[in-house]
Amino acid sequence: MADHIQGPIRGISRRHFLRAVGVAGTAVGLGGTLGRGRALAQAQEVKADASVKRGGTLRYGVHNAPAHFDVHQSGTVANIGPQSPMYDTLLRRDPRDGQTIIPDLAWKWEVAPDGKKYTFHLRKGVKFHDGADFTAEDVKATFDRIARPPKGVVIPRTPLFATLGEIVVVDPHKIEFRMTEARPQAFMLGAFASGWNVIVRKKTLEENQGNLRQVMNYPGTGPYRHASRKDKEVWIQERNPNYWNKGLPYLDKLEIYHMPPFSPELGASFLSGKLDYARLLDPVSWRKAKEMPGVTAAAFNQSVIQAFWMNQKKKPFQDVRVRRAIHLAMDRPTLVEVVKDTAPMQIGGFVYPFHDASTPRSELEKRLGYQKDVKPAVQEARKLMQEAGYAQGIKGLDFVVREANTFKLWAVAIQAMLKEHLNIECNLRVVQISQWFDEAAAGNFDLAISAIVSTLMDPSDYFTAWYGKDGPQNYAGWTNEQFHSLVRQIDRELDENKRKPLIRQAELILEQDPPCIPVAYEQIYDAWYNRVRGQNPSKYFGIYDVVRWDQVSLAQG
Amino acid sequence: MRQYLLRRAFFALGTLIGVSLIIFVVLRILPGDPLVAILGMEGYAKLSPVDRAHMMKDLGFADSLPVQYVRWLKDIASGQLGKSFFRGDTVADLILRRGPITAEIGILAVIISWLVGLPVGILSAIRPNGWADGVARSLAVLFIAIPGFWLGLLIVLALLFWFGYKAPIVIVQLWENPWQNFQIIVGPALILGLAQGAYISRMSRSCLLEVIREDYVRTARAKGAVERKVVLHHALPNALLPVITISGVLLGFVLGGSVAVEQAFGVPGLGRALVTAVVERDIIVVQNLVLLYALIFVAVNVLVDLSYAWLDPRIRY
Repeated sequence: MADHIQGPIRGISRRHFLRAVGVAGTAVGLGGTLGRGRALAQAQEVKADASVKRGGTLRYGVHNAPAHFDVHQSGTVANIGPQSPMYDTLLRRDPRDGQTIIPDLAWKWEVAPDGKKYTFHLRKGVKFHDGADFTAEDVKATFDRIARPPKGVVIPRTPLFATLGEIVVVDPHKIEFRMTEARPQAFMLGAFASGWNVIVRKKTLEENQGNLRQVMNYPGTGPYRHASRKDKEVWIQERNPNYWNKGLPYLDKLEIYHMPPFSPELGASFLSGKLDYARLLDPVSWRKAKEMPGVTAAAFNQSVIQAFWMNQKKKPFQDVRVRRAIHLAMDRPTLVEVVKDTAPMQIGGFVYPFHDASTPRSELEKRLGYQKDVKPAVQEARKLMQEAGYAQGIKGLDFVVREANTFKLWAVAIQAMLKEHLNIECNLRVVQISQWFDEAAAGNFDLAISAIVSTLMDPSDYFTAWYGKDGPQNYAGWTNEQFHSLVRQIDRELDENKRKPLIRQAELILEQDPPCIPVAYEQIYDAWYNRVRGQNPSKYFGIYDVVRWDQVSLAQG
Repeated sequence: MRQYLLRRAFFALGTLIGVSLIIFVVLRILPGDPLVAILGMEGYAKLSPVDRAHMMKDLGFADSLPVQYVRWLKDIASGQLGKSFFRGDTVADLILRRGPITAEIGILAVIISWLVGLPVGILSAIRPNGWADGVARSLAVLFIAIPGFWLGLLIVLALLFWFGYKAPIVIVQLWENPWQNFQIIVGPALILGLAQGAYISRMSRSCLLEVIREDYVRTARAKGAVERKVVLHHALPNALLPVITISGVLLGFVLGGSVAVEQAFGVPGLGRALVTAVVERDIIVVQNLVLLYALIFVAVNVLVDLSYAWLDPRIRY
């Protein structure tokens, strides 16, 4: 039993110690391809703590019901929120900090010195909820599907594995991922640890022709298993008694309630004590929760940029000076203020403002376009408009606004800023989300405001998707050869120290030649009663990776 | 009577076919793509035209409109009403689970509207232009004017901030736990009932005012009947016919109003399911729920017509 009850930080069993030493040794043997931090991360696991109180039911409110059940095909927390507890991933982010990549179904991994081969050693004795054994064949089937989806299946994470060549099953518990081209380790390991890339059975995929959209309860290996579900109301899951990570999960049951994000309904349910934990609270309820005794409220960064695009097939926006002028004309502190009671936001540029390669906030705030005093930026913007031949402004722009409170509020504010600062007049056209994509894809807009997400914080994930030539979210149709060539370099550069200046360089190109106009970066508001232990998302990035609840307990079971 | 019933059934069927055609066509010509809701923004953005066509075919939207319409009629005939193309649940399942909650809200709202509206209307009519009449008429106008969803939100917030109370957050059926079920339905029913009660009080007041000036009422008074008997036994039954007519129409408003009020209270009824389906562009669910609402509206109106003969023996069909 001793090896089942050690806390990962406080104590470590003989078996784990030897394993850690072995892993560290392997890392050293790899000629330094794994840094010290990563070797430790391999030794760091989520383990049960005997002192933690067991049992109880956690009532968790998160997002509307999913539109379908295929986690791989989804891009929304509506799936990952309720379904994640039933599945495991190859690697995972440590729930204690939300960042460190630690073992999950792979208890050890090795990366070839040239970065072109990732070998994973899988746990033995792991069983799916239907009793089947977990093997490397399931990992292969899962990642084959993610990297090369079958016909009619669309998986947003496919681009993460663009350089994945072959997946080779070495033996039932060892698997190799061979790359056609090396990518930075942090990027690839982040891709393997993404909460989206849950391991599903090969047989399940075969039986459903690779499409799980309407398969509600496909077996996973996760800490909880399906018990019952009421559509659009609640998904109830019970403790998996055969979970491979002995002693986990602590809870007997999860009740996951589907509630619209930022809604009074979610806020009221939490504040009235009908939920133990609420995710995506509206700012008003969150502030109220923060004042309540016995409640903790946390804010953390979300993997979303809120922006508006300028259609570069239209004449004024083909001129880089006009785009730069519009970028400078934005009063970003005011834009954050405008939506403060609707959704929490923070100022940022073209790279996640909290990423260690982005321009530090103190430096960013001194840059034109991000300053509290907008006069110098507006002055520069007017000069650019004059040089571009638009000193008198532009009239009659079609501004397509996605139907959501934040976008509607921002659209009005942006409309006013453009008019006041640059004499640009635009007509707002509010459309439903589905129509927004139709209009954006067809290029039926001058300006269009929405939000886009990434899986990873690493720019190699989103530089191509958001700003890449023909990138799926490059709605403006923007191109800049200097930038694209730099991105290719960033993607291939394996040395983090050399990579950071390249990212900063790319950021500066985007500042001068904006592919879109960043409005703000979203934050997430969570709150929970203090009886909920073991989960604090303050340092998490996004709501898609640490969502399994295996390490969470209730003080009053 | 039989001939009348057949004629009404024929017109009702025509109305329903008309409604089905309108909703079917409107949902298909409105802009927007259900694949955005199915795949999310990320998935949709990465969808190739070939994949898109493949998925639309899977959903049945690649067929011609007449083929899609006939398929819907077959789904109705099967009793399953088709499947939501999101999670694959049948619309019949959705209606069976959520319908009772909305039905309870509707019925309770009508009861409240009568319990409140009728006494207020009578009071106003027997003391016209007095202070009680003034208060009643002012309140009636107020409740007609206030949007139900706004009042609903205020009630939810007041209960939450003053008493820390929120009704159950999932469906509890009447037969499972009557008290919890009552907590779910009482808020929306009260809001909808008071709004409809305002109409009923105004209608019953004006009808009663008209009737109590009739000769037979004067005769009843001349014969020495007490005022209560004059009003309740002689005048009221004859004043009720228009009130019953308007009740049928009001039930339609209750159903329509329940969409917004259920949303405000967070009640998981059919109205809320309709809102969600519209947001998700779940065409199959929307068209069936709208048709169901139309069916109820038509059926209630037929029942109201038939009740005339029962209430007034002079009426024969």
